[in-house]
Amino acid sequence: MAHLIRRAGFGADRDQLEQYVARGYDAVLEDLLHPERFQVRDGDALQRYYANPEGGIARDHWFYYMINSEAPLREKMALFWHQVFATGAEKVQHPLASQGQIEMFRQNGLSDLRAILTGLSKDPAMIMWLDNNQNLSDEPNENYGRELLELFSMGVGNYTEEDVKGATGAFTGWSFEVPLVDRKRYGFPTNFLFREEHDGGEKSFLGNSGRFNGEDIIDMIVMQAATARFICRRLYDFFVADEPPVASWNETAPLDPEAVDMLVREYFESGGDVRAVLKVLFSSGFFKEAKFKKVKSPVELVTGVVKLVGTNRFPERRLGEIVRQSDAMGQSLMQPLTVEGWHTGLEWIDGGTLNARVNFAADEVNDPEKPGVRAIVERLASNGGALPPEEFADRCLNLTGPVEVDDETRESLIEYAESGGDLRFTTDEERDESESRIVRMLRLIVSTREFQFN
Amino acid sequence: MAYPYALLRTGFRYLTALGGFVNTSMPHDLAFGQEGRIYVVCTGNSGPISILNLDDEDLGSFGAPGFGFRLPNHKCSPGNQDWPVQDGAVLWPCQILVDSEELVYTSDQATDRITVYNRFGEYQGKWGEHGSGDGRLDRPSGIAFDADENMYIVDTMNHRVQKFTKDGRFLMKFGVYGRGEGEFDMPWGIHIDEVGDVYVVDWRNDRVEKFDSDGNFIFQFGSFGDGPGEFNRPAGIAVDGHGDIYVADCGNDRVQLFSKEGRYVQQFLGDATLPTKSHRERLFTSTKMGLRFRESSSMDDLRYFQRPLSVRVDSEFRLFVTDHWSYRIQVYEKEAYPRTEEEVAPPLRAPVLGPN
Repeated sequence: MAHLIRRAGFGADRDQLEQYVARGYDAVLEDLLHPERFQVRDGDALQRYYANPEGGIARDHWFYYMINSEAPLREKMALFWHQVFATGAEKVQHPLASQGQIEMFRQNGLSDLRAILTGLSKDPAMIMWLDNNQNLSDEPNENYGRELLELFSMGVGNYTEEDVKGATGAFTGWSFEVPLVDRKRYGFPTNFLFREEHDGGEKSFLGNSGRFNGEDIIDMIVMQAATARFICRRLYDFFVADEPPVASWNETAPLDPEAVDMLVREYFESGGDVRAVLKVLFSSGFFKEAKFKKVKSPVELVTGVVKLVGTNRFPERRLGEIVRQSDAMGQSLMQPLTVEGWHTGLEWIDGGTLNARVNFAADEVNDPEKPGVRAIVERLASNGGALPPEEFADRCLNLTGPVEVDDETRESLIEYAESGGDLRFTTDEERDESESRIVRMLRLIVSTREFQFN
Repeated sequence: MAYPYALLRTGFRYLTALGGFVNTSMPHDLAFGQEGRIYVVCTGNSGPISILNLDDEDLGSFGAPGFGFRLPNHKCSPGNQDWPVQDGAVLWPCQILVDSEELVYTSDQATDRITVYNRFGEYQGKWGEHGSGDGRLDRPSGIAFDADENMYIVDTMNHRVQKFTKDGRFLMKFGVYGRGEGEFDMPWGIHIDEVGDVYVVDWRNDRVEKFDSDGNFIFQFGSFGDGPGEFNRPAGIAVDGHGDIYVADCGNDRVQLFSKEGRYVQQFLGDATLPTKSHRERLFTSTKMGLRFRESSSMDDLRYFQRPLSVRVDSEFRLFVTDHWSYRIQVYEKEAYPRTEEEVAPPLRAPVLGPN
């Protein structure tokens, strides 16, 4: 269960995890796949205290929702599509449009691929990001048409230059209205606008000819085997195990071809329904066996640690600090370096980012007054009697995840535990000493190699 | 002082829009000083407290951590907002008051304290501590003076109102968490009218509650919605010299006007058909791309409020609205004539058929 909640969400504290376990895997999975069962999150307190969202693009709001949402897969899917359809707010220069794109991913993220690609193609932030506002009948701009095929659906090697031209022509005139963008951070929304400069002429695409518009192109894209394979492999990469970089996928086979085949079959049987594909994925043996096979992304690491220590359950003054921590670890939400998104897996880790990751986690758990740390202390103290060193180490590993560590790491943790003898809570002095030993144990655990994996 | 028996409202004249990116970035609230000075408390990059006037002149700002008084027409570059907050700085300012000596008070939700400046922006002192006991504060938001310049503070996360002397001595409190009469759920704005009654915006209950000066409940109005008289997370409140009640209905992007009995009268949606001085300058220094966008777009939306957080009415019956997301203050002027009992037909006294 913890594995499911880490992958389909951002982890859970022990109380939440026990509630999930009590309800059973299948029931929890159904709830995760149906975020509409939960009330729209109560974001008004966030709006009240963070009405001036960080940088205008509300990255701090997004972190808050990832930490607190009762429907975590909604946020996780927004993160997934943000990784696939990476859009940089710096170029968009319209914070509400950037926010709107993430909201669209929340709303559409589990629907069928046709709806997702249609929403994407009409999204003002994406239009601005890939210059489709400059894609006009007499002066086409291929940026969006090309990336739609290369990075967003079919993948390199599965289309021709003729197809790029066809797609580009079909999306001419797909633009947006902008009440006022003469300065950054101006708060008026913008919407999709179909302009007159649309090329209504004959086009060819994937062997078909006709007076295609954007919707026709999307209809053909979602029927392609290459699209199904590409999207299912991206889902596998994000939710199951780290694949090699996307750019190499045309030459490298999937880590688990049978798993991707299984997802592709469901894709076609369900008419491209992402929710149905994910149900198969999360119910599969290959998913359940993939524990700790993914390097946590900075967003996952930061969010998971904050959930562990139980802070930011209400808008706190230092919410923006969380955003900066993720930035320092190499993942600036809504500011990917390129349209390719972030390079994931082991590429998250280098000397600098590892330092930032370990320091952040170790600092966060280094406060027994934080609710999550306090809860761990109380659970360990609740036995009443003394806690032997081995049990002390094992229970801390369990309560911080559970985290699974190799024998060598476990022996080291036990060695530390033994250096202070049994944990005792009888007197105030014993309690204080045990508390600081627990905090130190937690710092050691979140600094292990294993803690870097999901 | 008594309110007029009835009021012949002829309407509101739209006066102007004030402020802009440089001096009123994300304005929360404002207060009136002497000689036309208007103090605006903001959470954007302009500096927490800015001074301007009705001619839209930028008179500087103060209150940023590590930063002194910002000279007029200079950009503010507040230092890193770090903890603990130094004296004289505010982090999450919410509302602002000016007393008879033109000392400026602002509530700070980050530090749970009231910070005081003189009219030159010089730090004069602070008071308030975090907690839930008597006199302790947890995210203070709305602040208001009574006629004796005692300060009522909306103690948001303790779901109550507390009364202090203006140098911070606790006097009394009222309200507890809940949805019943006299209870609160994260209240925000507050106003004390000319007869000493206290109006509190009960933010999360989407209503306004009225109390006497001792905190005894008098009446309430409003519920969740976007129809006339309904609210979506209302924030600020003001009562003018006629007893008319103005509520910043933040989530509905409007200000609503109610009679002194709480009867809905009208709404304001914003009418800024001309830019502020500051904004006009930005238009002329805009990029070519920005101007292309502007040339090809509708200007209809520009006039409307976006998240109005506060309303204030000056002694000339001018209505000031902090148009939070649009970085400006919109100003209206009321035209109305008090009527005596003899000048208005009496209300219907007979029972009326129909649904209760």
